[in-house]
Amino acid sequence: MNLSAWLSAEILGLGFLLTFALLFYIFYYWKHRASYQKELEELRRIDAFTRLRKTIGQAIENGRGLQISIGSGGLNGIRGAAGLVSLSMLLVITQKSCKGDQSPQVTSGDGALASLAQDTLHKAYRLAAVESNSKASQNQVTGITPFSYAAGAMLTILDQPLQANLLAGNFGSEAGLLAEAGERSSQLVIAGSDGLPAQSVMLATADDALIGEELFAGGAYLSAEPSHEASVKAQDILRWIIILIILAGVILKLAGAL
Amino acid sequence: MRRRPFSVFLLVIAIASGLVVLLGYWINLPALATLRDLFVRWAAILAGMAVLVGILNLLYVHWLKVSQPKPGGAYSLALLIAFVLTFLVAIVDTPTGSWSLWIFRYVQLPVEASLLALLAITLLVAVFRMLHRRFDWFSLVFIGTAILILVGSTYLPEVNMPVLQSLRTWLLQVPTVAGARGILLGIGIGVVATGVRILTGSDRPYEG
Repeated sequence: MNLSAWLSAEILGLGFLLTFALLFYIFYYWKHRASYQKELEELRRIDAFTRLRKTIGQAIENGRGLQISIGSGGLNGIRGAAGLVSLSMLLVITQKSCKGDQSPQVTSGDGALASLAQDTLHKAYRLAAVESNSKASQNQVTGITPFSYAAGAMLTILDQPLQANLLAGNFGSEAGLLAEAGERSSQLVIAGSDGLPAQSVMLATADDALIGEELFAGGAYLSAEPSHEASVKAQDILRWIIILIILAGVILKLAGAL
Repeated sequence: MRRRPFSVFLLVIAIASGLVVLLGYWINLPALATLRDLFVRWAAILAGMAVLVGILNLLYVHWLKVSQPKPGGAYSLALLIAFVLTFLVAIVDTPTGSWSLWIFRYVQLPVEASLLALLAITLLVAVFRMLHRRFDWFSLVFIGTAILILVGSTYLPEVNMPVLQSLRTWLLQVPTVAGARGILLGIGIGVVATGVRILTGSDRPYEG
């Protein structure tokens, strides 16, 4: 039987998904025995998250707020994953910073994402037992096209004394304008996206850029939940499996077997 | 922490809907495919409604800025007036009418194009700032490659630069494609990870 005909995209996709789910559960239950947060930091340190954690503390000490831009990618399709990751980061950051004088400000460029951000903010305030600190105006849709979103979010960034500006989600090249606005206000700018153009723009404009899949490790590095850490470990193993498959493919091709 | 009963209900709905849509792509059952299509249609309708919610949120925030005078309130007032005018034109003239298209063509498009032009200048300044902030090999390679691509793409009369153009083509076709594929594979794994966390209920952005 022809191997490439049998290995259709659907079969490969299913195998990929099941392998990930299996690894995820193995690490999830293994996590209950011992935390490897420290191990994760030692193994692969991501400076952006280390600085972000410090900045959250500094923001509370200085009485300044944080601005979190979660992008305009929406929730439909593959771009939705970056939005969902930004929401899990939003939950952790808000929980840690909501007892300060200034509430974190959230901007998005999509109604569905904004609705979930509102829910996430409520959850964070409820978990931190400071529901009364929550304000309706701290979650804003600033525009519904990428550039109108950026133009609106720039005003929010320049409007108030902020400690840091976090861009996490689906962005295009308009991320450069947001990062530049943060830079002009002397804020620390940390940026990550799932889009390639945005990543190259962020590398040039942000103080710390999250490259590749680093954005998707956000939950684990900000100490969200055991599931995030299990997910990062499973992602690492899956990456090695893919590398081995690619190398095997190259060798088979060179040997004329494919 | 004890989970609220309503949260459990939302969790069950979310996981069940996600599994039905996912399995609908692999299991060839007409009933499952019908249910999957129905759920996807509902999602599209809800996404449409979410745009309206987003617009209402935008208006509410700017109304707050206008009603409590703050610096930058004039911009909010301009936004509210522009919204009302555009909304009235779209209602009277229909969204594809000539007046609506005039607003799109002569107001929105030029404004967004000028933001794109501003981005080019912003990036140029950012590149020099990056050298000041982070002077290392990665920054030098990044800037060097950007300059090579730009010069290789530029047409200069009376100047023939076949070596530079070949170098540009090689850069775009070999290291750029290899790097981009590597990053995209990583992002793909990240997307799968996020999907599994949502499907298993580990991440619940909907429980409020």
